Amino acid sequence: MFSRSYRAAITLPPLLWVTVFLLVPYAIVFFYSFWSVSPGQAIVHSWTLNNYCELLRVGVYLQTLFRSMWIAARVMILSLLLGYPLAYHLSFHAGKRKELFYQLVIIPLWVSYLVRAYAWKTILGSDGVLNTLLQYVHLTSHPWNFLLYSPFAVVLTLTHIYTPFAFLPIYASLEHIPRDLVEASNDLGAPPLQTFWRVILPLSIPGVVAGATFAFVLSLGDFLAPLLLGGPSGIMISNIVVSLFGAAYNWPLGAAISFCMLLLVVGLLFLSERLERKWAFR
Amino acid sequence: MVRCLWLLPLFATLLLLSSCSKKSATLTLLVWEGYADPSFVHSFEEQEHCKVSASYMGNSDELVAKLRGGSAGNYDVISPSSDVATSIAAGELAAPLDLSRIPTYNQLSPQLTSLPLVRVNGKVFGVPFMWGPNPMIYDTTAFAKPPESWAVLWDPKLRGKISAWDDLSTVYMAAQILGFDKPDPSQLYNLSDEQLDAVKKKLVELKPNIRKMWSTGGELTNLFQNHEIVAAMGWPLMTNQLRKINFPVGETIPKENTTGWIDHLMITAGSENKDLAYKFLEYMVNAGTQKKVTDVTGYTPANPQAAQFMTADGVKNLHLDDVDNYQKHIYFWQNVPRRAKYNEIWNEVKAAQ
Repeated sequence: MFSRSYRAAITLPPLLWVTVFLLVPYAIVFFYSFWSVSPGQAIVHSWTLNNYCELLRVGVYLQTLFRSMWIAARVMILSLLLGYPLAYHLSFHAGKRKELFYQLVIIPLWVSYLVRAYAWKTILGSDGVLNTLLQYVHLTSHPWNFLLYSPFAVVLTLTHIYTPFAFLPIYASLEHIPRDLVEASNDLGAPPLQTFWRVILPLSIPGVVAGATFAFVLSLGDFLAPLLLGGPSGIMISNIVVSLFGAAYNWPLGAAISFCMLLLVVGLLFLSERLERKWAFR
Repeated sequence: MVRCLWLLPLFATLLLLSSCSKKSATLTLLVWEGYADPSFVHSFEEQEHCKVSASYMGNSDELVAKLRGGSAGNYDVISPSSDVATSIAAGELAAPLDLSRIPTYNQLSPQLTSLPLVRVNGKVFGVPFMWGPNPMIYDTTAFAKPPESWAVLWDPKLRGKISAWDDLSTVYMAAQILGFDKPDPSQLYNLSDEQLDAVKKKLVELKPNIRKMWSTGGELTNLFQNHEIVAAMGWPLMTNQLRKINFPVGETIPKENTTGWIDHLMITAGSENKDLAYKFLEYMVNAGTQKKVTDVTGYTPANPQAAQFMTADGVKNLHLDDVDNYQKHIYFWQNVPRRAKYNEIWNEVKAAQ
């Protein structure tokens, strides 16, 4: 069909891209994770497993990893709870306004992450919009401090930012459900709830899995929200990596943590791929 | 489409030209906040027909990591404090200085120029620039009189109302409260494992009171301004900024004394603008500029002749009339041999629940 040179011409650029910008950097991270730092703060290029032992020895790293996973899990659940009904409504009931609503969901993605994080700061702060309002209507006499600089603020912001990422694949999978199946279910006398439960939901599972994976993986590696809005105890695993690379100049330990994160994420992607395939529309 | 193709080489040439002309006259700084204020940098730019572009650092470790991480060539001038100045000089990250090109060097306070901090193998690597303490900054509406001790930060009544600097200085401060600075203050920079454990415990007890850790000066100013916090360890710069916006702010050195720093200006080893950098160093330590830097930051100038441009009150506020006594309350940062261990302890404090 196509000449060999044509095929080479179209496959080479992406292959080069993946190698130069993904595989090589990951390999460098992998090598770094077996090196060490001398007391004089120079990187020693001799092989050691010390960084991985350190990861297990100092409890902070695993604890923070688990806490980050817990935050990511909450963000995932909230994004699904918000994203699914939205996608469902858009796909089945929005009618002519479908395009408009779709754009409205997408537009926030055009606004810089930082701007959105700072916006939450002005909303949730002690002198912020929400606290001022609560005091104005006499719901409370002091500002609620748990609103900002807390895990609550981090989960809220990440949910706000990553809900569109959960929404998009769910919406796509709902759009792909043949409407004949829904009509058939209705014609055979199934009430709407049963149609949803037995027909629509199972068919949209691949989208839900993809959306959940997006929300979980993206929030697991986030470091800006905890930095800007998290409290004194709100740091996540990426903040530790940043401080190991930035402040402590311990690149090998930072690389070891990054590599473990990478394994975790690749494992999750693999799992979600399997799940999606299992539930895929046949 | 094809008709426009001839534009491409033109465009590329323009891009190249603009990047060249820019590069030849831009001095890049990596310094503490307040050290590149337009009030004094602007006239240097006009005088030398160049552009000064500054990045700010949040703490000393960030500076060292950036230099070691290979960005040394991206910066021309840096302003390390006394804690990392020696290791930067010894690590050949900075260039040795030819003092004959900085005539004003001889005017600088001999107490500072005689220190061994930036001398390695008989060469001088830095010019003393500014010095000052890390005082306690507080909201005067929350404190009727200045807090006497750093211990007030632990007061249960201040739950969620203070901030802590995301820096080893917070570790030193806790060590001071525990009395590890007696009899020898330099012990703060060389704590034993047991002492560090005690410090960690003490700092974990502080956590319920911390609303947010600050890592840039602007962030701390904002935290006060938005009434998120009422007290914190800070720099005189923030007190100055808050006073300018008429915020009811006070500044004090508690009875345990406090840590402080002597900042030096250095030229990086990889700088490609060394001539311009020398001119900048000379400009920054002359008495007139030093006065302007003081106006912005509230720090004490390394050039005592800056006092001639100040009012009697100004001189008194900066303790220039009584330097020796004032410095007794400030333990200047020193090189920390086990900095990695300190950082590990600090990370554990930050991650503790």
